[in-house]
Amino acid sequence: MNRRLLFLLPLATLALMAGFFAWSLLAGRDPASIGSVLVGRPAPRLDVKPLREGEPPLTDALLKTGKPVIVNFFASWCTPCLAEHPLFTRLAERDGAVIIGIAWKNKPDEARTWLKRLGDPYKFAGADLEGRAGLDWGLSGVPETYLIDGQGIVRRHFRGPITERDLNETILPFLKGAK
Amino acid sequence: MLEFLLALLTTATVGALLVPLLRVSARRTERLDSALAIYRDQLAEIERERVAGAMPEAEAAAARIEVERRILGAANATDATAHAESSGIHRFLPPALALLIPLLALGVYLQIGRPGLPAAPFSAQRTAPHPNPNESVTVEQMLAHARARVTEQPNDPDANAALGEALVLEADGTVTPDALKAFDKALAGRPDDPRAQYYRGLHEAQSGDSRAAVARWQALEAKSAPDAPWLGMLRSEIARISRAAGMPVPTRDQVEAMQNLDPAQRQQAIRSMVEGLDAKMKENPGDRAGWLRLANAWKVLGENARAADAYARGDALAPLDTKTLTDWAEAHIRQIEPGAAPSPETVAVLQRLEKAEPRNALALFYLGAASFAAGDKPEALKRWKTLLALLPADAPIRAMLEERIKAAE
Repeated sequence: MNRRLLFLLPLATLALMAGFFAWSLLAGRDPASIGSVLVGRPAPRLDVKPLREGEPPLTDALLKTGKPVIVNFFASWCTPCLAEHPLFTRLAERDGAVIIGIAWKNKPDEARTWLKRLGDPYKFAGADLEGRAGLDWGLSGVPETYLIDGQGIVRRHFRGPITERDLNETILPFLKGAK
Repeated sequence: MLEFLLALLTTATVGALLVPLLRVSARRTERLDSALAIYRDQLAEIERERVAGAMPEAEAAAARIEVERRILGAANATDATAHAESSGIHRFLPPALALLIPLLALGVYLQIGRPGLPAAPFSAQRTAPHPNPNESVTVEQMLAHARARVTEQPNDPDANAALGEALVLEADGTVTPDALKAFDKALAGRPDDPRAQYYRGLHEAQSGDSRAAVARWQALEAKSAPDAPWLGMLRSEIARISRAAGMPVPTRDQVEAMQNLDPAQRQQAIRSMVEGLDAKMKENPGDRAGWLRLANAWKVLGENARAADAYARGDALAPLDTKTLTDWAEAHIRQIEPGAAPSPETVAVLQRLEKAEPRNALALFYLGAASFAAGDKPEALKRWKTLLALLPADAPIRAMLEERIKAAE
């Protein structure tokens, strides 16, 4: 009798795991979301070398101008960055947004070629080849985007590419409201 | 290294499976041998004791019989099991499977799974039906070619659209500002260039204005001929972008999409599409299939005069077949006022139809009416009586036809 119960053990384990997976799927929680500790706090230190030659380095002063800024970490090797790029172009051209682009773990000349091909929406562009700024900003990868209000407080942190919905429901109202 | 480890692991597993399987039969005979040895010892001991007088004769005989019975029993038992298992597949199947499955896996792996195999990318498969499959065009070549064409003909819409498309391909599907410029130039030369319109819409979708993209594409869809090669792709793109933007996905079929409109609007939309086709045919009057499509569209809309005209244009390019001739004749017949005689054009079409198909009911009836109107009663009677003989007994027009025949007689 005991032996038979033993044979049921794998089945019970399987049922347990299936139950857990079903719960994970149906409970409506987003497994990709790891949250952000930065929202509501002052933006981390900004100290990045310039991406385009002959420009000054990026500093904290850029984040506290009284106007909202968007900080976008990207890389030329990152496909989702390609998908969100036209949205930044549009934000810069049509909505006059100030966007700081930081090429993360990306060779500067490759990043520059990429921007030349796709268009350059960044008012300020930095090169974070070693990923130090990425550490300061709690980056998990690229692309990630931060909305920072005029006082230098992080208001929103997008992990992953921004979408049309983010644009219409979050970014555009944020730019309007913070102005 | 990994392959080596996996091979080692498989060999060890197969070995662990094979050794006990192959050993079973060997062990069975071993067991019988050892049992027999014990019994032989026992018999020898009984014999010794009997000889030594330690065991009475009768008792020794009983003991010997007992041992001999056991020997027979043991031999029988082994025989029976050996028989049952050795018969057929039981003995060979497990070891054979244990060897065959890894070997099969290895063969399949070497055939289709090995990392050194040449790549079979999707794009290569798609261009396979291309007349010259060995000649694959890289994006760089396309781009260089398109640039050269634009330098030659800076204002040619086709050249500009091709350049834009090459730039989009170079950017992995993103419509870049340079590509956009090329498409705008193409559209300046030809405002409804489908390729430029498509990519202009794609740019709108990519830069956060899916609504405008879908509207543009739907306009393009409405303007395209029903058999335009891009329609399938366009519709799936409309569905994809609508879904991504959380908009209601338009139904795939144009006709279904129009069911959302009220009947008057729907009629209007269809009519404007057919008018568009009409205008296109006037620019390109050599397209016989286009004329027939237009004729059919007008016929469906009830514009029988325009339908008949379009059939005539198609017929002028190459004579129509019987089926289309029937449609043409119908378009004419529908224009006949009640009680009036068929017009000469109608008669001409019907006569051709009758020639192609002597037992065609439509031709028989209306040519009879034409003969009757022209005063040729015997001819009318001949046609109508032929028709009457062809009609099934319960045909609704039978009564009417009989009445006419009576009147002619």
